[in-house]
Amino acid sequence: MSTILEGKSLTKSFGGLTAVREVDFNLKEGEIVGLIGPNGAGKTTLFNLISGVFPSDTGSLRFNGREIQGLRSYEICRLGIARTFQIVRPFLKMNCLENVLVGIVGRGEKGARKKEEKRDEARELLKFIGLAGEENRLAQNLTLIQKKRLEMARALATRPRVILLDEVLAGLNPSEMRQALELIAIIRRERKITIFWIEHVMGAIMKGSDRIIVLDQGKKIREGKPGEVVSDPRVIEAYLGDANA
Amino acid sequence: MHVKKYWWVPILVIPAVLPPFVLSQYWLHVMIISLFYVMMAASWNLLAGYTGQVSFAHAAFCGVGAYFSGMLAVFLGLTPWLGILAGMGLAALLGFGLGYLCIRMGGIYLSLTTLGFSEILRIVITNEEKWTRGTMGLQTPGLFAEYSKTHYYFVFLVAAAVMLVFIRRLIRSEWGLTFRAVLNDEVAASASGINTIRVRVLAFALTSAMAGLAGGLYGHYLMLVTPDIPSLGQMFLVLAMAVIGGMGSFAGPIIGSFVLEILSEYIRVYGEYHVLLFGLVALAVSRFAPEGIMGTWAKMRRSP
Repeated sequence: MSTILEGKSLTKSFGGLTAVREVDFNLKEGEIVGLIGPNGAGKTTLFNLISGVFPSDTGSLRFNGREIQGLRSYEICRLGIARTFQIVRPFLKMNCLENVLVGIVGRGEKGARKKEEKRDEARELLKFIGLAGEENRLAQNLTLIQKKRLEMARALATRPRVILLDEVLAGLNPSEMRQALELIAIIRRERKITIFWIEHVMGAIMKGSDRIIVLDQGKKIREGKPGEVVSDPRVIEAYLGDANA
Repeated sequence: MHVKKYWWVPILVIPAVLPPFVLSQYWLHVMIISLFYVMMAASWNLLAGYTGQVSFAHAAFCGVGAYFSGMLAVFLGLTPWLGILAGMGLAALLGFGLGYLCIRMGGIYLSLTTLGFSEILRIVITNEEKWTRGTMGLQTPGLFAEYSKTHYYFVFLVAAAVMLVFIRRLIRSEWGLTFRAVLNDEVAASASGINTIRVRVLAFALTSAMAGLAGGLYGHYLMLVTPDIPSLGQMFLVLAMAVIGGMGSFAGPIIGSFVLEILSEYIRVYGEYHVLLFGLVALAVSRFAPEGIMGTWAKMRRSP
């Protein structure tokens, strides 16, 4: 498996606070990698660096062998990295079909494709994601899990090779969580998309990931197979505090 | 061919061409001014209602069109028709610049910056008497050798119709979709592959050109261009028309322009207070019926 996304000593400070400090990571094509760490560890900041919400202070970020550090958000998306947001951000005053169409238009493909073809593709994606029949519903009228599904459909519409999922399970009930996990498995299996995901639901991320990266106070403190990571004393300390304190 | 699809054409066209034949000169004038405001409010709505950039410089760009075209005619003897095109071009250019300046701003910061631009422009125009005749106003030639309100009416009608068709097509195209995505959530739009800076600057340049066109025509109709055109009073009137009619809807600003312009003829006796009244009504509308006349009407139709 070849490396598709690689970060080297990424650092990002906001004023005096260093949110991400010298973090290295790499994703292999087709992998599913979990990113965990206590609140404020810098997980979402790392996602924001990868997706170009803001540039990193130092370090490099290579996608498919190409340096993408410093590129703007939409350029990174067009290269093939899509994301969802921790607090869902669908286009609330647009209907489901339009939400997905934005992702399709966002590919910026040259050459005119028929409008109807794009709408068909959007409809198909809505069906795939489990929102068939909701085409004309405004996103603001959806339930939380539906909004999350819609965000995933919009991300998939950009035809990504890597997708960053920021706490897709948060706020869902157990049966909705199962549905969401199934969906992630299907995305990976059928669409061959590399997945990098942040999750606080330990059982799910441990079971669902090939590898886990642990951040604490901006630094990577551990990386490895799920089984190795959970038993590491440093990880337990980061989450639960020092036993000797 | 598409006979069925175009059944509405005569319904729109017949009342649109009637006014010169049935109305008095006075009311024909009111109709021409209404069409001017239709162009202003519809183009401002495209910027504010569809991309979320609540600019206060729209009347300023209207003034750019009016003054530039007027000055080209007065000092260089250029025909007004070409002058209006040049005014549109200059307004687009300045709109592009101001839009670019504002790309990192949103909400009230953008509004304040554009408000500042607008006032600076008005002050410059008022003081550069040599070129603009200051508050005396710049006397400009008309569009026709022989003055006829009927001719002007049709010029304004065609210009407004072309602009509205253009806006309608734009908001239904993929560009319109990206406009609304930027309005809804810039970060999410950018993360979905939309070049949000390009969308915002393009919208600014495009709508400024439209304001420049409206201003150019307006100036050559009144044949006197004064600093009232690029004034904030004018700006708030346009804003009130779009808000009361319904921002973010296609028909809203059109309805708002006619309603407010005709209404203001009846309450003209109260002088400048009519702008104050419209301001208060616009405030009430944005508080109690934020989608304006169009939105409220649509809601009533849905729940009888």
